[in-house]
Amino acid sequence: MKEVFIGRENLQRLIGRWAKDYRVYVPVTFDIMNNEATPDYELVAGEVPEKLHLEGAALAHTAKSFIFYSREVVAKYPSSDPEADVEAPPTVIVGPRACDVRGLAKFDKVYWSTVHFTEEYDDPFIIEKRKNTYIVSLDCTAAKETCFCTMVGGEPYPKEGFDLNLAPIDSGFVLTIGSEKGEKLVAGSDDLVSELQSTHGQERERSRNSVTEAVNRQNADFRVEGSFDRYDLEGSPESWAYVTQNCVGCGACNRVCPTCTCFLLVDQRAKGGYERTRNWDTCLSLGYARTGGGGNSRPELLQRLDNRLRCKFEYSRDRYGLVTCTGCGRCIDACMGKIDMREAIKHVVTEKAKA
Amino acid sequence: MKNLYRPIESVIEDIKQETPNINTYRFRPKEPVTFAAGQFVELTVPGVGEAPFTPSSNPNVTDTMEITIMEVGSVTEALAKMKVGDTVGIRGPYGHGYNLTDFEGKEILIIGGGVGLAPLRSLILALFDDIDRYKKISIRYGARTPEDIVYKDLLPEWEKMKNTEVQQTIDEPHPDWRGTVGVVTVLLDDLPLVTTVDVDVPFHAETAIACVCGPPIMLKFVNVGLLQKGFKPENIYHSMERNMSCGLGKCGHCMLGEYYICKDGPVLTAAQIEKFGDPF
Ligand SMILES: Cc1cc2nc3c(=O)[nH]c(=O)nc-3n(C[C@H](O)[C@H](O)[C@H](O)COP(=O)(O)OP(=O)(O)OC[C@H]3O[C@@H](n4cnc5c(N)ncnc54)[C@H](O)[C@@H]3O)c2cc1C
Ligand code: SF4
Ligand code: SF4
Ligand code: FES
Repeated sequence: MKEVFIGRENLQRLIGRWAKDYRVYVPVTFDIMNNEATPDYELVAGEVPEKLHLEGAALAHTAKSFIFYSREVVAKYPSSDPEADVEAPPTVIVGPRACDVRGLAKFDKVYWSTVHFTEEYDDPFIIEKRKNTYIVSLDCTAAKETCFCTMVGGEPYPKEGFDLNLAPIDSGFVLTIGSEKGEKLVAGSDDLVSELQSTHGQERERSRNSVTEAVNRQNADFRVEGSFDRYDLEGSPESWAYVTQNCVGCGACNRVCPTCTCFLLVDQRAKGGYERTRNWDTCLSLGYARTGGGGNSRPELLQRLDNRLRCKFEYSRDRYGLVTCTGCGRCIDACMGKIDMREAIKHVVTEKAKA
Repeated sequence: MKNLYRPIESVIEDIKQETPNINTYRFRPKEPVTFAAGQFVELTVPGVGEAPFTPSSNPNVTDTMEITIMEVGSVTEALAKMKVGDTVGIRGPYGHGYNLTDFEGKEILIIGGGVGLAPLRSLILALFDDIDRYKKISIRYGARTPEDIVYKDLLPEWEKMKNTEVQQTIDEPHPDWRGTVGVVTVLLDDLPLVTTVDVDVPFHAETAIACVCGPPIMLKFVNVGLLQKGFKPENIYHSMERNMSCGLGKCGHCMLGEYYICKDGPVLTAAQIEKFGDPF
């Protein structure tokens, strides 16, 4: 992959050039209540914001929200066109981290032709947006307390799956071009980049190593025997009941997760007939597996949390050859029951070993 | 790109009442929706929503499709209020059909409970179209009461088909009922425990095929019963009831472990689900 150097001001200019042809989202911090600086994405309208938030770890918002909307009309009937009516303007997202980028791989497996699904199952709404979305990812420069990417086969910096990647260093950024789409974003901007110096590369390695070590260090206590991609979480109902005791079934964990792909189709009246909307759904809800007449294959909350975690580690592995927990820690941050999946896995696996 | 979520307008051509809460509807889709026995479709009641159903008509008839539907909740109740001439939506077909070439030359046991005979009817009709290819067809059907029996007029016709038998049971004794009484598993009682190919017994469990559809509790007990009788797990086909939203292997609702029932099923063999213990 081609790598160049770009200074801070020049990056600002480059983003400004994108904003002429694309919708561009950049990470900034918002002052919400208590003056806490909360980083989130902002759509560039006019000038590129002066203070971009390009350090730290993953934002609360996942990259998935840009291709998989929480609610979207997917059909209008009765008089509907066989072709999908998809609105997917070219969009650049600056700021996804490694755990977001890895999450998109699950979407590609589920929604795009893979060995499991033939082309006739391609989802136009996801694919058109995916094709028109340009991922400009970032190395993490610090870990959140809940980050554990290195425990699930990842690193705090993207290795693939991005169009451009920015690695912050003292004097600017190492810019890596990861795809043809990435080439397109830097084409005609040779005036803003320069050749990479070996010191730039060394600086980036130092930063990457130190963040990796920090993530490893903060998770040392959660390590269990065996490799994450071989976890067998078929634990006892008691161990799952213990893990689930503070779960209220709110589904916050599903919503913030970069690899939760599930949805529910809901029909309603609309102008000229009816419309079908696709809505994010959550496997933690009682109704998720409910069948006609009131049957339910997962009536207990503990069965549903068990299903969620095993979906990430076992079922996706068996189905797609992917472990679909990317260790972003968002579900831990979001949980009002303070359920930490690192502890949950450790508990289930160690109880199992004892049995 | 083609829109996977679009329902195809379909007109209700006929409604036949089977039982107080089950009707058979004949639909004529505006664009052909062809299916193989065992596949299912998503049926839209406009503005109310969708639900998955397996057509009950002959798959070799392609311009119309019949579905036998029990009223249980929002979509099915709204459908029950519709009339001949009204429009619904259909998309599909989804999932795999039965691999009928695997059934050739074999004894086929078809076990249905309640409205569960409906999805099996398309299989039965497909088998009848090539009846000489199969050694024997035995249809065993259980309903709660005589009133709850679907296809009352068709069952006697089926019995007249070559190499075909029909056995029925109802759950509780009833003044109008002369036949077998007991839940559907009593219809497995005449199957011999151990068989050899040259003895004249109703079924040769080691080679016979069983296709089962009905409420989860029935599947559970029939599965145990058939395994005890020596049926091979790979020859027992269960129609799995799961919540389904998309039918396309995407929404996640139907998942059982790594399987999408909508995509890998809706019919799975006992061998495929063995590892889940009691997944019904
Ligand atoms: C492959 C397949 C084939 C089938 N074939 C047939 C057939 O041939 N004939 C037949 O009669 N039936 C068949 N069924 C069963 C049929 O799909 C159900 O009876 C039907 O879905 C019931 O829909 P409903 O809206 O009327 O019922 P409801 O009970 O209202 O709805 C069940 C659905 O609505 C949702 N829901 C309802 N209430 C709640 C709640 N409180 N909270 C959350 N969610 C809720 C659930 O998502 C669920 O999917 C089949 C099922 C499958 C999977
Ligand atoms: S966020 Fe926590 S409380 Fe809510 S469903 Fe997930 S695990 Fe349960
Ligand atoms: S399961 Fe939790 S930690 Fe893993 S990817 Fe999803 S939100 Fe992140
Ligand atoms: S019904 Fe949506 S994945 Fe099977």
